[in-house]
Amino acid sequence: MKLAFTAKGTTWDSNMDARFGRTEFLLIYDDISKELSSFDNRESANNAHGAGPKTAQYLFELKADALITGNGPGGNAAAVMEKTGIKIHIGAGAMTVKEAYDAFQKGELKKV
Amino acid sequence: MKEIVVISGKGGTGKTSITASFAVLGGKDVIVADCDVDAADMHLLLEPNYEISEEFYSGELAYINQYNCIQCGKCYDVCRFNAINVNNGRHTVDALNCEGCGYCARVCPSGAIINKPQKVGQCFTSILKTGSIMVHAKLGIGADNSGKLVAKVKNEAKEIACDELKEYVLVDGSPGVGCPVVSSLSGADFIVLVTEPSVSGIHDLERVYELVERFNIKTGCIINKFDINQGITNEIMDFLESKNIVHLKNIPYNEAFTEAMLLGKTIVELDNDPVKFQIMDTWIKIKKIVK
Repeated sequence: MKLAFTAKGTTWDSNMDARFGRTEFLLIYDDISKELSSFDNRESANNAHGAGPKTAQYLFELKADALITGNGPGGNAAAVMEKTGIKIHIGAGAMTVKEAYDAFQKGELKKV
Repeated sequence: MKEIVVISGKGGTGKTSITASFAVLGGKDVIVADCDVDAADMHLLLEPNYEISEEFYSGELAYINQYNCIQCGKCYDVCRFNAINVNNGRHTVDALNCEGCGYCARVCPSGAIINKPQKVGQCFTSILKTGSIMVHAKLGIGADNSGKLVAKVKNEAKEIACDELKEYVLVDGSPGVGCPVVSSLSGADFIVLVTEPSVSGIHDLERVYELVERFNIKTGCIINKFDINQGITNEIMDFLESKNIVHLKNIPYNEAFTEAMLLGKTIVELDNDPVKFQIMDTWIKIKKIVK
């Protein structure tokens, strides 16, 4: 399974980014290969409008199965996410990526 | 650090008067972010000093290089916004009409048209009369607020709050339900809805709450001028209960708001007005909730 995190940096110790569409990075953790990779999303954040749907599209292209984030996507982005079937887990906005992963494992994050 | 965002859906409910009052009550514990950039007016009440200013670019505008233009008129034909002016064969872009869609650049056979980043206004970091800091922006004529600009104002305010170990970021949110509001809400810890008992007041409250609900953020509501229509106030209270929104306060219609505004002050700076104490009480309530 591939887990995606909205983050302000590219490592396990980076802080999560509570925002979805304008998150600086998307981190992808592959729990089979145990590898953490990063996608620079700052170009989406630079769009005047529509950053959310664009980020949702990237998540789809990165083949994420689940998203771990702060508040979750807005209306338009949520519609894209629904179509792609990526599961959304929220409430990790104030954690580090590692803490968010642990909270997800323990089922402490809210699924929307 | 907790981020509190105040929004209203409808204009004229008293959102900014109340937000500015909270900013004064919070004093140095609060970093203020004015994300109501289309009609920014926190600066009228909080006396910022415009200490740091930075130009802000968002979206694009078409630009025609006159040396390369062969005056074929294709740009004029395809533009849906009537943004190409033709004067004695000279083709120019009307910056107020251009939406930056890029269609003209796509069809231009001589490659004379490019899209350039558009300067939409300025972003400021100011020291306020409260001694605290506000991040705010001023748009140029005809320029649009955007999710990008709101994100910038908010992120800057949050960075300052982190650096200075402040307890709260207080955001005067954007109007409506579009991209700037989504951007205002994203990352918030608590949302304050300010409404009034009018037909459009409750309508816009319900509409903006649809958006808030999506974010699963704890929310409270202030019914301002509650006594101008007790019937709709009751309807609003029923709505709040059905949605589990914390009912923070009913504030009566009071001309002291206008009086204070004329003095360039917030209502909590007036002497002993009863509404002042209700707003103080509401601020304490909010602080308790976000703790």
